[in-house]
Amino acid sequence: MPAARDLSGVAGAPSGSGRVAAIRIAIILVVVALWEAASASGWFYRDVIPSLLTVGRALAVLAVNRDFYWHLVVSLMEVGQALAIGGGLGIAIGLALGGSRFLSRAFERYLYYLGPTPKIIFFPVMIMWFGVGPASKVALGALSCFFPIALSVAAGMRQIDPVLIRVGRSFHASPMQMAAKIHLPAMREPILNGVRLGFGVAIIGTLLAETKLSNAGIGYLIMQAYAVFDMPRMYAMLIVLFALAIAANELVGRYAGVHAVSGS
Amino acid sequence: MGAIGTEARPAQAMAPPPDWVLVVEDLGKRFDTPDGAVTAVDGVSFGVRKGEFLSVIGPSGCGKTTVFNIVGGLEPGYQGRVRIGGEEVRGPHKSIGMVFQEESTFPWRTVLENVSFPLEVAGVARAERHQRARRFISLVGLAGFENRYPSELSGGMRQRVAIARTLAFEPTILLMDEPFAALDEQTRLILGDKVLQIQQELAQTTLLITHNITEAVQLSDRIVVMTFRPGRVKRIVEIDLPRPRTSEIVGSEAFGRYVAQVWNDLREEATRGMAESEIGALSRRP
Ligand SMILES: Nc1ncnc2c1ncn2[C@@H]1O[C@H](COP(=O)(O)OP(=O)(O)O)[C@@H](O)[C@H]1O
Ligand SMILES: [Mg+2]
Repeated sequence: MPAARDLSGVAGAPSGSGRVAAIRIAIILVVVALWEAASASGWFYRDVIPSLLTVGRALAVLAVNRDFYWHLVVSLMEVGQALAIGGGLGIAIGLALGGSRFLSRAFERYLYYLGPTPKIIFFPVMIMWFGVGPASKVALGALSCFFPIALSVAAGMRQIDPVLIRVGRSFHASPMQMAAKIHLPAMREPILNGVRLGFGVAIIGTLLAETKLSNAGIGYLIMQAYAVFDMPRMYAMLIVLFALAIAANELVGRYAGVHAVSGS
Repeated sequence: MGAIGTEARPAQAMAPPPDWVLVVEDLGKRFDTPDGAVTAVDGVSFGVRKGEFLSVIGPSGCGKTTVFNIVGGLEPGYQGRVRIGGEEVRGPHKSIGMVFQEESTFPWRTVLENVSFPLEVAGVARAERHQRARRFISLVGLAGFENRYPSELSGGMRQRVAIARTLAFEPTILLMDEPFAALDEQTRLILGDKVLQIQQELAQTTLLITHNITEAVQLSDRIVVMTFRPGRVKRIVEIDLPRPRTSEIVGSEAFGRYVAQVWNDLREEATRGMAESEIGALSRRP
């Protein structure tokens, strides 16, 4: 509830947000100017820093390239599946850890140890288990997003106001009803934050795997462009990825912010 | 019939009077804290008659909430017994509805969805549960606020939502833990009238936990006065004021006498409670 009040407070501060927007735009302009200056200076090897104009042209070429969309869809499907599998398992395990002091004390420490480990080191194993196709990328992405989601769900479960649990029990809610009607809605914010973090690392895991060994996906295309030293094309694809990541993040963020979405 | 039912049961030591629907026997509860074990309640016994309004009063920290939680079946690990309709219960009982001392509305649900909650859990269809919920929302004076979220209401209004939610469960035994503490005096008196009215209508048995003497005398048939730490029953005061009762009674001379009598019992305990918390604060000083 206090969170809801804070949100409305932020929304109702136009002067502050106007200044923030101005600073953001200024930062973008400065970066663009520095980039162009570096590109024009000729200090860097060949096309390492191409002019933004060339990058824009490469972006336009990509936009009408059907192959590019096919690879993009491959990557998006992989990320989506990774998020579904890793996220689903993460929420389930997180609920179990958050709900049982015993399980938490027995197992949670291992998740904290494994969480920050770069998951790419498991890629060779994934290739042996799931082959060189999309399945091994999905597996790596799922493995990457499992940890942040499981840990934030477990933490979120522990911060639920205990009186709400007692209310549910006093009305004889079944364990399923408790989970669906009290635990999950009470943990909406931590779960969505976990999904947000998980989404980021799912993209990283999946695309990193694609750059290592694959024959499809944006990661594969980026490595191809790099192999022939087509820097503008590579940057164009990075920009597309960046834009998609921002859009997805905004979407999850908006869903987390509006507390009345589930209303009648 | 009730009496025959009791006699037919296998012999029980000291069977409570048959019109007592809720009986607590010799309740005891200790909490382990970093400063050592605290005996919150010790040997608390009383019974509530069918349709009776019984209050438990005592200074802060005397174990009222502990009794409330044990009776509601939400506090594990205690001594003694709780009987409902003659049978010992452990865990939440279907005939009990609870109103909690803490802020307990669901912040992600509107007023209507909050009050519908117990009906939703019981599997009542959406249209019917909303219709039934609306009735209790207007009973607590919140008609027109059905689609507001708790964050848009005052603390007192949120507590009324919690009361309406428990009433919508239509419990035959209503347990309330300081439900009016967050309300101003006027709202408290008026809501007290409403609760009495609903209690009559639904033939409810009510156990009210409070630290407010006026409230206890205004509403109760009997008042259980508790001692401070360990919480024990000090005295049970019979309030022989006419029924049906409204808050107008607060001005009467008989009312004043009861308030004075309960305060007389309570003053000593409240003084002890204050002294002990001061000693505690002093001894904890580095
Ligand atoms: N979960 C708990 N852990 C430790 N001590 C507790 C706990 N609950 C209550 N107590 C202690 O038991 C005593 C009675 O508490 P409580 O029943 O909440 O009193 P009241 O409701 O009358 O204010 C207090 O001294 C309190 O500190
Ligand atoms: Mg209390």
